[in-house]
Amino acid sequence: MTLKLTVNGKRHELSVPPQTPLLNVLRNDLALNGPKYGCGLGECGACSVLIGGMIARTCVLPVSAAVDHDITTLDGLAQNGQLDPVQQAFIEAQAAQCGYCLNGMIMAIRALLNHNEQPSTQQIRAALEHNLCRCGTHVEILQAAQRAVVINAAAQQEVSHE
Amino acid sequence: MPPRSRRYPMSKGSLPTQEVGGEGLPPQLTHVRYGVVVRPPYYHWNGERFESAHLISVDRTRLASLPGQVDVVVEGDFVGVVAESIAVARDAAKQLHIEWQAFCSEPNKTLKHSERAGGELRYQASHSVASEQRIYGWPSRMRWGNHPGWIVADGSDHQLKVWGQTTTPVALKQDLVRLTALDASRIELYSTDPQQISNPAAGLGRHCGDDAAVDAALMSQALGRPVAVWLDARYIQDVEALGQAQRMSLKAELTDSGEIARYHYRHANSSGDVAAVALWLSGRATEPAAMPETVPESIPEAPADDSDPAPLSSSFLPSYVLSPYVFRDQHLSARLQQPGQTPNSATLIGIQQAFARESFLDEVARDSGQDPISLRLRHLKDARSIKLIESVAKRAGWQVPFKKPSDAVPQDLLQGRGFAFAQLPDRHQRMEAGVRSAWIADVAVNRVTGDVQLTRLIVGQDDGPEVDTAGLQQTLQERILGEARPLLGQAPGFDEWGDGSDAPERGVEISPSTLVKRDSPAVTQTKTVSLRPASSDVLTGAELSPGVAVIANALFDATGIRFRQPPFTAKRVREALKEAAMEGAAQQRFAKRAPGRRWLAAAALTTVAGATAMAWPWKSTLAPVARPAPNLYSAETIERGRLVAAAGDCAACHTSEGGSTNVGGRAFETPFGTLYSTNITPDEVTGIGQWSFAAFERAMRHGISRDGSHLYPAFPYTAFAKTSDADLQALYAYLMAQPPVAAEKPTNELSFPFSVRSLMAGWNALYHDPTPFQPDPMQSELYNRGAYLAEGLGHCSACHSPRNAMGAEKSGDAYLAGAFVDGWEAPPLNTLSRAPIPWSETSLFDYLRHGESALHGVASGPMAPVVAGLAELPEYDVRAIAHYVAAQMQAPTGNDEATMAGAEQRVTKAAESSPGMEAGERLFEGACAACHVETGVPSFSRASTNLALNTNLHSDHPDNVIQSILGGVHADHVPGIGSMPGFADSFSTTQVADLATYLRARFAPDKAPWQQLEKRITDLRQPHHNNTNSTP
Repeated sequence: MTLKLTVNGKRHELSVPPQTPLLNVLRNDLALNGPKYGCGLGECGACSVLIGGMIARTCVLPVSAAVDHDITTLDGLAQNGQLDPVQQAFIEAQAAQCGYCLNGMIMAIRALLNHNEQPSTQQIRAALEHNLCRCGTHVEILQAAQRAVVINAAAQQEVSHE
Repeated sequence: MPPRSRRYPMSKGSLPTQEVGGEGLPPQLTHVRYGVVVRPPYYHWNGERFESAHLISVDRTRLASLPGQVDVVVEGDFVGVVAESIAVARDAAKQLHIEWQAFCSEPNKTLKHSERAGGELRYQASHSVASEQRIYGWPSRMRWGNHPGWIVADGSDHQLKVWGQTTTPVALKQDLVRLTALDASRIELYSTDPQQISNPAAGLGRHCGDDAAVDAALMSQALGRPVAVWLDARYIQDVEALGQAQRMSLKAELTDSGEIARYHYRHANSSGDVAAVALWLSGRATEPAAMPETVPESIPEAPADDSDPAPLSSSFLPSYVLSPYVFRDQHLSARLQQPGQTPNSATLIGIQQAFARESFLDEVARDSGQDPISLRLRHLKDARSIKLIESVAKRAGWQVPFKKPSDAVPQDLLQGRGFAFAQLPDRHQRMEAGVRSAWIADVAVNRVTGDVQLTRLIVGQDDGPEVDTAGLQQTLQERILGEARPLLGQAPGFDEWGDGSDAPERGVEISPSTLVKRDSPAVTQTKTVSLRPASSDVLTGAELSPGVAVIANALFDATGIRFRQPPFTAKRVREALKEAAMEGAAQQRFAKRAPGRRWLAAAALTTVAGATAMAWPWKSTLAPVARPAPNLYSAETIERGRLVAAAGDCAACHTSEGGSTNVGGRAFETPFGTLYSTNITPDEVTGIGQWSFAAFERAMRHGISRDGSHLYPAFPYTAFAKTSDADLQALYAYLMAQPPVAAEKPTNELSFPFSVRSLMAGWNALYHDPTPFQPDPMQSELYNRGAYLAEGLGHCSACHSPRNAMGAEKSGDAYLAGAFVDGWEAPPLNTLSRAPIPWSETSLFDYLRHGESALHGVASGPMAPVVAGLAELPEYDVRAIAHYVAAQMQAPTGNDEATMAGAEQRVTKAAESSPGMEAGERLFEGACAACHVETGVPSFSRASTNLALNTNLHSDHPDNVIQSILGGVHADHVPGIGSMPGFADSFSTTQVADLATYLRARFAPDKAPWQQLEKRITDLRQPHHNNTNSTP
């Protein structure tokens, strides 16, 4: 059975069992290593990607569910050599220790900003509530998220002026 | 897949919004309301009079709880309910308590309609036909409509506008004039189906689009507001009630040489049209005054040497009842109530007469052993007619008997050829100057499905307009044969299979795009097209006049069954074939049966069938047969079988984990031991390859294997017994057409005495009723279709009804009362349902069609493959099942505002964690919350049903919750359904119990805590391993 996936704007035809977790297909078949395998139970968020601009935990999502949708992984977030504002913010805030969870953190903030451009601190905390970090970098991550809101707003401004 | 939030209950309003108005529709239609009619329990047009049960009272008190304004329109015996949405209107119609006076027929007014007219009678060979008499009929309504759609009437002020579908606009306008007492110029008709305007079949008679239009107009006029009515297969009820409009009786006396010496034709009730149902019910239609027969009973004998039939077209008779044939003694009469009143009716009566006459001549010819064409030629004097018929016969390669190509054609197709002829008067009623038209048609009849296909049509026409043969063929196929054909996606019979293309029958409110056909170029500019009388179009309809008889004659040639009334729908053909087959069987048993006493034979057969059924348990092996030839069944039959298999979900039980489809071997744990399903591929050794249809049917209906041994009722033959013959045949055809796979099944592991199969004989005598499904005439087509599927193939009760100590399903109040299967609870589908938010028909449909209902949760466990199987079925069928189950639950049609508000309230209440359960809360936050709690970030993988609405958490039994935590939720075969990992390997039994207790307390706070959770979890944990697919 062939499945058609659109990942980071590229179309792929894959011959995989439809119930394979999307994460395995992205990492093993498409060599996209932005999403990470963490808990395998949808608990930690390390495997997150965007599907149709919404956050999705791919270790528990069968690949068949993602057919006909646009999938964006961390690998495809940068546009035209320009980092996504959220990525830029995480670099500027130096918000990583081991960095394993950062894929999920960045994707979650990206999904939040897609939906709400000016989230409050409270809303940022709620958005990240179920993303686990074992290194204890939470303070830096929250600062990065705040910074992402600012850079994102500036980038939006630029786009609208063009 | 649409975004996951598409059915999220809280985010959207409750009822569909009404996008009425916009371009093309007048602005006042923005306030359209929706009407549903409630017909009396009995109403009937008997050919001369309309009779019905009379209204005593209407109790509206229960309507108060419904949202918005609900109006009840009562006039005479007409009852209609009008509301802000179609869903509310349908609910209101259910809530309305109406008292009817039972109808009693008045014996002194009994009409002479006891004669069986228009029925299907089997051909009985008779070698000495001295005289022959037959009665033919024509229905008041040809069919319920062209396709499902909205009919809108706006009867405000002093005018009336109607948007609808009709093939008889003149008759419809007359009805509307009678209804509203408005001048005809103040009534405007618009078509929502521009294609039909130029349809040449307009002359074949009315359909229920007219009845729906009058329903809408009546309600609209009463309320002074535009009212929309949904036209769909439910209107078939009106088709049946209005029955026969016309009755044609013919009689012939033959000489020894086979020539027709005397010919009688009598056309009764030639009123042309029977008024719309609402007119009769409201008392605004008056019975047509029976006119005396104004035409002379007899016509002087035509001079034998006169080759010109012109004298017959003298002023004595309307020309459309004239016959082109010359008989020595001819009596023609017609009792015309309103002769020639509408431009259509003359044409229509001409077609009816041609149907009766040409069918009759065919019968006379066959009964007297003559070639149907030769018989006609003997009685034609007109040289042009003779020449035309001869050339058409030559062109078609007409020969008697028709040589049927038998080898290449699947053997379930019966082939036949027929002939018909007509001569039509010209505009000035002159026969001689008119058109002659000779037709030869070939048909193929599918004996399993009853479908009739027109395979070839040859039409010869003299002095007429060019004939568009392809157009005629399509018209005949669709209009005469098409009513019940899957081709059109309509499903009027309880065992008809649609193709899923039918429009949604509810939940879709009016918008400009539903009022006009989307893909029709004709409406891009104006959006509506004014109706012109059909007679002014390309074809007058008169060209069709031999078309109905030619099919009846070809059908007879193919099947030996004479259809004396159109239309020749698949359902009628199938039933007639079945009856003929039964009669054939009875004839073998009762050689001395009195001729013509068909009911006697049928009754006798029933007894025999009963006796055989009783004898079966002790019957032995049915002889093995060779696997049926590949061309025994047509592709159409096999496709129907595929749908039957999908509805019965054969593969779910007959396929083991990872095994090939239908090879069996799947284990079933029962209280009596372990059973394994069998190989139902056509392998001759290990499968059913050597099973005859008789053996297959015996297994499906009586639970007896081909070798005579009993099957255990884990195989739900108790339900499958209800399957119709046509569906069983098609299923057999489908299974036999699959590739054979050799696979021995494991031996059952049953404890004594259950291992003794023959004990099942006694079980069957006690608990099994092998009667096929009987539709309930008091219920709608949709309900009966749903009941047929749910009680039979769908075998819902096999899982959802509790069983007694002997493993038999309980009935009565316990029917669908819930049970346990494979460690899962199959929740009650009757009024015992524990769902926190009551189910509605809409929710049931969502659940069955899409695998999830936003107000209840997703299909998982053993229900997931059921939903996957249902995905194969046409949408109408799934709606029908939802409709039937909703009726068992006494559930409303849609989810009203109060329901949605109740759901919202539950969700809000469960937003806060309950105190004192920190262990469970920690587990929930760590393992569940990421997907089950709203975080403000739009999520694709979040569970779309809030746990506060989850039916399983509100059940008396924790089983499904435990199963879901341990094994996860997987519906691999249902695209778009979420997936939840299992926690059997990461949670201890205590942790699962803590979590389940917490979930119950937080999300079902009104329910008592579950008891003895740890024990239940230990029991259910057994089969679960790590159910997570994801590994590094």
